[in-house]
Amino acid sequence: MALLLAVLLLPLGCSQPVPEPPITLKLYQSWELQPGDTIAGRRVLGGLGDISIALEGNNVYAPFRGKTQRDRGNCLIFSSPEVPAYLFRLCGLDNPRFGTVNQGDALGRGRSLQFAALRKQPNGTWAIVEPAKEILERTLTPL
Amino acid sequence: MNNRKLYRVIPKQIVAGGSALLAVALLMDFHVLPSFGSRKNGSEACQRVVQSQARLSREQLARLLTVPEGDRKQKVREILKDPYCELSNLQIRAGAPAQREAYPMEFDPQTWLVVLYEGEQYAGYRINAR
Repeated sequence: MALLLAVLLLPLGCSQPVPEPPITLKLYQSWELQPGDTIAGRRVLGGLGDISIALEGNNVYAPFRGKTQRDRGNCLIFSSPEVPAYLFRLCGLDNPRFGTVNQGDALGRGRSLQFAALRKQPNGTWAIVEPAKEILERTLTPL
Repeated sequence: MNNRKLYRVIPKQIVAGGSALLAVALLMDFHVLPSFGSRKNGSEACQRVVQSQARLSREQLARLLTVPEGDRKQKVREILKDPYCELSNLQIRAGAPAQREAYPMEFDPQTWLVVLYEGEQYAGYRINAR
């Protein structure tokens, strides 16, 4: 019965998601320049704490079932109830996919990826931390 | 005459009974607990059921919200008690292995609370509405 309902509801899930306003994350580290900022007329693609990966046109994938939103720098912010206290920020994707995603769904592709893992601090800000290789591997390889 | 009356009554009862059964079946179908995740290779499935009777009350949830992230795991466990299950272990931050424990809500078993610990430290929670 659940399956039948899921099939009936499938077309709804595939419809265009309502565009959400970008989220603003308050970072624990207050660096002057963030991805999306402009310096001397040039766009900042990554900052301290981002890991740059040569994506060379390949896809990145949702490491878990979750949700993607854009931030003010037009980067993709991935969150999942499976990894409480963490967010992942993916910058550099050409056509990022926003909305509800399943584990393994393609989130977008691009020439290079700037990846940051953000951990929630007790004061509500988000600290950029060093991501484990496991998370990057999940993000870079299809299921 | 009596027979005809009887025949007219029975279908209604069957319809009513059938509807009730269907309703019960629907409810049961949607409240099967262990199917936290349907994908076998996904990380969201319970790896080990700890306490199959575990349900989280509103009061426990309210008390959890008073615990700041970074506090001791023990403190959170005292409030939440044993989890329904453990999810697969993960490493999200380099050098910090994480454990995740899940609790279905008493008032809505389709909604789960996932708590994340890093060692003996409580890292945070997320509510998973399905």
